[in-house]
Formats: sequence, C-alpha cells, structure tokens
Amino acid sequence: MPERIEVLLLDDEPIVGKRLKPALTKIGCDVEVFENPREALERIDQKNFDIVVTDIRMDEIDGIEILEHVRQKAPRTKVIMITGYAMMSLARKAMEKGAFDFIAKPFKPNELRRVIARAAEALDLSVDFETGADDESNL
Amino acid sequence: MNQIYDSPDEARQVAEADTQMGPDPEVAGRYERIRAAEEAHRALLARPRFSLHLQIYLGFFLIFLFVLGISVALVVNMYSVENRLRFLELVNEYVVQIDQTRRFEKNYFLYGTNLKDAVENIYQAKDLLNRNAEEIGKVMGKAGQSRVLQNIKIYGDLLQRLEKLEQQGMRGADYQRVKNEIELQLRESGHRLLSLGQDLTKREKKSLTDAIAHSRYITIYSLIFLLIFLGVYAFFLGARILRTIKRFSNYAQRIASGDYTPITPARGYRDEFTDLALAFNHMIQELENREAVLIQSHKMRAVGTLTAGVAHELNNPLNNITLTADMLLEDYDSLDDEERKEMITDVVNETARSKKIISNLLDFARESSSQLEPLDLVQLLQETIDLASNQIKLSGIKIELQATDNLPRIHGDIQQLEQVFLNLILNAIDASPKGSKIQVIIVPADDPHYLAVKIIDFGSGIPCNILNSIFDPFFTTKGKGKGTGLGLCVSQGIVGKHGGRIRVSSREGAGSTFTVTLPITTIPAEIGAATDSRSNISSFGSPGPQA
Repeated sequence: MPERIEVLLLDDEPIVGKRLKPALTKIGCDVEVFENPREALERIDQKNFDIVVTDIRMDEIDGIEILEHVRQKAPRTKVIMITGYAMMSLARKAMEKGAFDFIAKPFKPNELRRVIARAAEALDLSVDFETGADDESNL
Repeated sequence: MNQIYDSPDEARQVAEADTQMGPDPEVAGRYERIRAAEEAHRALLARPRFSLHLQIYLGFFLIFLFVLGISVALVVNMYSVENRLRFLELVNEYVVQIDQTRRFEKNYFLYGTNLKDAVENIYQAKDLLNRNAEEIGKVMGKAGQSRVLQNIKIYGDLLQRLEKLEQQGMRGADYQRVKNEIELQLRESGHRLLSLGQDLTKREKKSLTDAIAHSRYITIYSLIFLLIFLGVYAFFLGARILRTIKRFSNYAQRIASGDYTPITPARGYRDEFTDLALAFNHMIQELENREAVLIQSHKMRAVGTLTAGVAHELNNPLNNITLTADMLLEDYDSLDDEERKEMITDVVNETARSKKIISNLLDFARESSSQLEPLDLVQLLQETIDLASNQIKLSGIKIELQATDNLPRIHGDIQQLEQVFLNLILNAIDASPKGSKIQVIIVPADDPHYLAVKIIDFGSGIPCNILNSIFDPFFTTKGKGKGTGLGLCVSQGIVGKHGGRIRVSSREGAGSTFTVTLPITTIPAEIGAATDSRSNISSFGSPGPQA
C-alpha cells in the first residue's frame, strides 16, 4: 500500500471540489477542499501538504498570493494553478514564481490527475494513475 | 429580426416581448425619421419662391426706373429753360424795337426827323409779334396778346395819321393842334407798349429763374430720395442675407452638438437659401447614418472587450459541467440514484448559469435603432454594471452603486446610454489598480432639471495637459491596438444628443470623476426641443418614485 498523497484543493466554485475530491481520492490522494482562500491559508499554516491545487482568480486573495505563501512556508510542496483561458499572463507569472504547472479551465478530471501524477513523481511519490494512459483524443 | 433561438420557449418569450412593444421599434424609429425628413423637405419647397436674385434685380430695376424718371424730368425742365431763354430773347428784341421806335418818335417831335424810321420800326415790332404769335399767345394768354397787338395797331395808326398830316403839308394853328393831339396819344400808347414789353421781360426772367431753381430742386431732392432708397434697400437685402447666414450658423452648431432634427421653414418664401437648407437636411441624414454606424462599431468594440470577461467567466460553469459529466460517466455504476440526480441537476444549473452570463452581452450587442423612452437611471446603471460584471470580477475591482431615493426618470435611448456608461465604467476599470474600487453615484444635478451620474475611480488620474483632449476623436492613451480613441467622443455625442453633457475632473495620482448630466422627463417641451422630435413615444413618464 503506497503512501497517500496529501492534497489541498482550493477553488471558490463548490462543484470543483465536490467532483474532484472523489476523483483524486480514487488515485490515492487525501484531499482537503476549500472554497475560501483565507481558510485555506490557515490550513496551510497548520499542515504540510504534498500538493496544493488552487484557482488563480478568486475574490479577496488570489492564487498568486497562495502560491507565494506556500513557496515561502513549504518549498517542497508542489503548487498547481487552475486558470481561465483569458489569464495566460497570470499563468506565466505563476510559473515564474515557482508553480509546478498550470491547468486551464475547463479541464477533465484526468487532465488534473495527470498533472498530479507528474507532481507526485517529482516528489518521489506514486499515485494510482498512468500518466500516459489518458484519452488525449477526446480533447 | 433574424435570430435563431435554441429553444422554442425562448423564441416564444422573445416573440411575446416583441408584441408587447408593438411594431419593431427599429423599423418604427427609422420610418419616423424618414417621415420627418420628407415632411421638412415638402414644407421647405411648398412656399412661394422669392429668390435673392429676384430681389437684387428688382432693386436695381427700381433704381434704374427712378434715375430714368429724374433724367426725363431734368431734360423736360432743360427744354423749358431753353424755350424761355428763346422767348426772353424775343421779348428783348421787341422791347428794343419799341424803344427805338419811341426814340425816333421823340426825334420827330423835337427835330421833325425820323418819322419814317419810327413807322418802319413799329412795323418790324408788329411783324415780330405776328411771327411768334403762337409762342407769345402761350406765355401771355390770348387776352394779353390781343391787347399788345391792339396797342401796336393804335400806335401804328397814330404814326400813320401823323405821316398823312405831314404829307398834306398843312401849316398853322389847326395843324399844330392836330399834331399836339396825336403827340399826346402817341406818347401814352408808346409808353403803354414799352411798359407791356418790360413787364413781359420781367415775367419771363422770373419764369426762367424759377425753371432753373426747379431743376436744382429736382437734382437735390432726387439725390436725397435715392440715398434713402438705397439705404433701405441695402438694409433689407443685407438683413435678409445676414439673418439667414446667422440662422445657418446656428444650425451648424446645433448639428455639431448632435441634434439631427431636419431644418424646417423659418420664412414665408423660399430662395437660394432653401437649396442650402435642403443640402443641410441631406447632410444631416448622412451624418446621422454615419453616426449610427460609428456608435454601432464602437459598441462592437465594447462587446469585444466584454467578450474576454464573458469567455473567462464562462469557463467556470463549463468546467463544472465538464467535471460533473466526466465523473458521472466514470463512476456511473458505483453511484446511487441520489448522487446521479444531484450531478445531473448540477449540469442543468450550470448550463443555465452559462446562458445568463452571455445573455446580457447578447442583448447589448444586438443592433437596434434609436428609441427614446422614460428610463430609470438606477436600473439602467445596475444593468450596465451587470453587463460589465465579468470584466469587473476579472480585474479584481469592486464597484459600488449609490443612488438618491425617488429620483425622477430621464428620457433617453436605453441602448445608447448603456453604451455610454459601459464605456465610462470600462475606462474606469482600465484606470484602476487591482483591489481598488469604482463608485457610481446617481444624484440630482445642480440644475434641478437634470440628474447627474458620477463615475469615480481611484486610479492614476488624467494628467492636466491632456485633460482637454480626452473627448477629441482618435485621442487615446491606451497602447496601439487597444483603444480607438473614439469611446469618449462617441459617448459625448450620444449624451449631447440626449441634451446632457459629460464633464471630467481629475487629480493625478488620486483618480478621475466623470459626471454625466441628463435631463429629466418633467419638462417634456424642453426635452423634445433639446433631444429629438423623432421620438415615437408620445407620452412622457411622470417623475414618480422608481419601480
């Protein structure tokens, strides 16, 4: 039984967490879902996550701030940004600031799973998901 | 209206909405405008023609007639002076003859000589009178003439008697007595002849002086009259031209300010300026068409800007749908009915949310023609903010709408005013730093007949040196390809057409305030004059409380 990966998922859209939590749990992640960035930040301070998945555009606090916070607090943690198509410049900025990767909305659960699998690989962890096994042809 | 609806429901709703509005407002508005233009055209041409040409020619013709009259009068007068001069010469000659005769008469009585000469002279005088009988008759009258002739005859007879007396060779007291008697009569008659002649001379001299004075008066008075006539003529001609030019310069100003009401007749006749008015009306129509194109194209730019926000915002429900549908597919067998239903409900709700995100934009983007109606400004601003909400969210800026309670309605075109406020709000968003706010405040303006909408940003402000240019066409501070420099220009045109204005105040580093004032509907007459007579809304809204 491989070690479970600790994932924090932050998106102010409730459905994102609701659907992704079971999707990621199935590949061996322990997922904590937050809709409020402030609560998420508090949780990050309390616990070291392996992977943080955060939306970039949110009210009050945006994803870049979350990224900066995580990089400062836990440099080992991989941060994956969720962006919209109109936010490519923000995505580039996030990459410059040390994000692991970004994924553009709308995406399929498998696309995120693949990015998470790569992040896990980078952390020398493994997930129950083949990185090349996705149905790319559907995109 | 060529639109394809996704669902029959939607199509029915739109159809119902259309029937409530009556005939297609776009068509109605256009028809109304064309009708106004045609009416103006007809009215302009319906008047009797009194051209400037005609007035100028008529004036000069009258002057010519007058000068002709003066010339004729002067020529006639000159002719009369000439006649009198000739007559005076005649009279002079007569007086000289009579004078001569009397000298010979005197010689005869003193020295007994020259009697023959006297007779000859009096015959010559008589001959003179007979030769010019007609002329003399005219001047002296028949009675005077016959008196003179009679006197000459008497004098001649006396001389003849004297001659006969001499021939008879009579001597003595009898002869002396008869001679003395004739002498007495001769002197008397001669004196009378002379004085008649002198009298005639005097009279003729006076007539001559009168005639010369007459011609002097004719000249002086006609010059004075000519001066007055020319003055009056110049005044009326000048006033007619200048007044009309002034009127047209007012039209030009009115048109420049965006009032495209066609020119209607201002006088009871038509002339060359009518052709100008017709050309103006044609120009107004063309300008209006072009402005409509400009407004529409600028609107499409705004739509383009909004599309970025919409596209981004649309990603959220799309993402939710994708995730939900994918997971439903993946886990279909392991999920229970409740979970499946919940997921399907999510898909349905998110689809509705997508529709809502784009429907505002589609409503706004739809092309429509100018239509004036009473509007609730607060509602209009709220709708505009909703329209820009994705953009606002995307830029991380807060927007606050504040309004005084119970504001009266304004009179305007909802689409065009939305475009104005959208433009101002998008500008404010561009100028605002992330995390700042924009205030939209609706209050009664200083002028009680107006409402003021203030759009306040706390951005970088506008430098003083360009503050005066920001409403100029093609002026932009945005980078190449980002702004056309027409937004504020078009907005000002639209607001101007509504009888309002846009003002700006700005402090560098502290932000800018754009204030749009718009007339309220409590003064229908003024609104009608200030904005548009083409309005196909017959009743104006009452300034009651807002809905």
